[in-house]
Amino acid sequence: MPMPSSPSLNALLRNPSAALADTDLKITLPLTRALLNEVLAARPAGTPIRELYIDPEAGNRFRVHLSANAPVIGTVSRQLMLVPGPAVSFPDQPWLSFDIVSGLKFLDKPLINLVQGQIESRLPKGVDVSSSYVRIHVPALMTHLGYQQLVPLINKLQVTSEANRLILSLHLNAQ
Amino acid sequence: MHPVLKHLIETDFADLNGTHVEGQIALSDDIINMGLHEVLSQLRQPAVPKDTAPAPPPAANTSESMPDPRVLLSKLKVEHLKYRTEVGKTVLEIKAGV
Repeated sequence: MPMPSSPSLNALLRNPSAALADTDLKITLPLTRALLNEVLAARPAGTPIRELYIDPEAGNRFRVHLSANAPVIGTVSRQLMLVPGPAVSFPDQPWLSFDIVSGLKFLDKPLINLVQGQIESRLPKGVDVSSSYVRIHVPALMTHLGYQQLVPLINKLQVTSEANRLILSLHLNAQ
Repeated sequence: MHPVLKHLIETDFADLNGTHVEGQIALSDDIINMGLHEVLSQLRQPAVPKDTAPAPPPAANTSESMPDPRVLLSKLKVEHLKYRTEVGKTVLEIKAGV
C-alpha cells in the first residue's frame, strides 16, 4: 500500500472498518465524456493502442472507439457498444462488468489478444477481456493496489451511462 | 500538473457538476486523538532559521499553479451539515452537491 506520511491517515487506512465504524456515505460522481477522454488521453505512450475514447449514450450504454496496431493484420479500428452490468457489492458480487453487445467481428481474435496482452502486461490481475465482456474483479484490483482493507466498506459500486456522461455510484458502509 | 487536473481547472470544474454526497462520516476517538497529537507535533516543530535562504518565488507559469480551493467551494451546495458526538466517535452528517 502507498503509505501516507500522516500517522493518523496511516492508522485509518490500516484498519478503516474500526476507524470509520458507523460511516454510511453515498457518493454520486458523474464522469463526463470530456473528463473520461482526458483520462484516457493521459494513458502511457508507446503502446499498440493508437486511439481510445469513450462516448457515453442515453439508455445505459456507451461506445468505445478503439484503434490499434495488431500483428500481421495491421491497424484495426472498431466501435464497440458496451452495456454496464450489475452493481458490485462485497462479498457477493465482486465483478464490475461491461457486456460488449456489438462491434467485434468473428475475425477480431488478434485484436482481442492484443488488448488482453496489453492488459496482462500493464494492468494488475483482476482485469479480464473477452469477445463478449470486459470485467474487473474489484477486490483483486484493490488488493493489488494495496487497499484490500477498504474492500469490506464497499456496499455498492455501480457504473451507469446517460447522454454524454457515465455515472459512478458508490455506497460506503463501515460496520 | 496532471492533464486531468489541468482540464478540470481550465473548464472551471464544470465536469464535476452533478456530483452528490449524502450520509455520515464517523471517525473513532482513537483517530481523532492521533490527529490532534499530529497537529500538535507539527506546531512544535522549530521555525526555519533566519539565515536560511528565502524560498524561491512561485513559478511564473500560472497554468502550473494549484487551483484556488475557493473556486471549487463556491460551486458546492450544502443542504445539510451537522456535527455531533457519540460514545467513542465523532460524526459528521452531510448532504451536499456540486
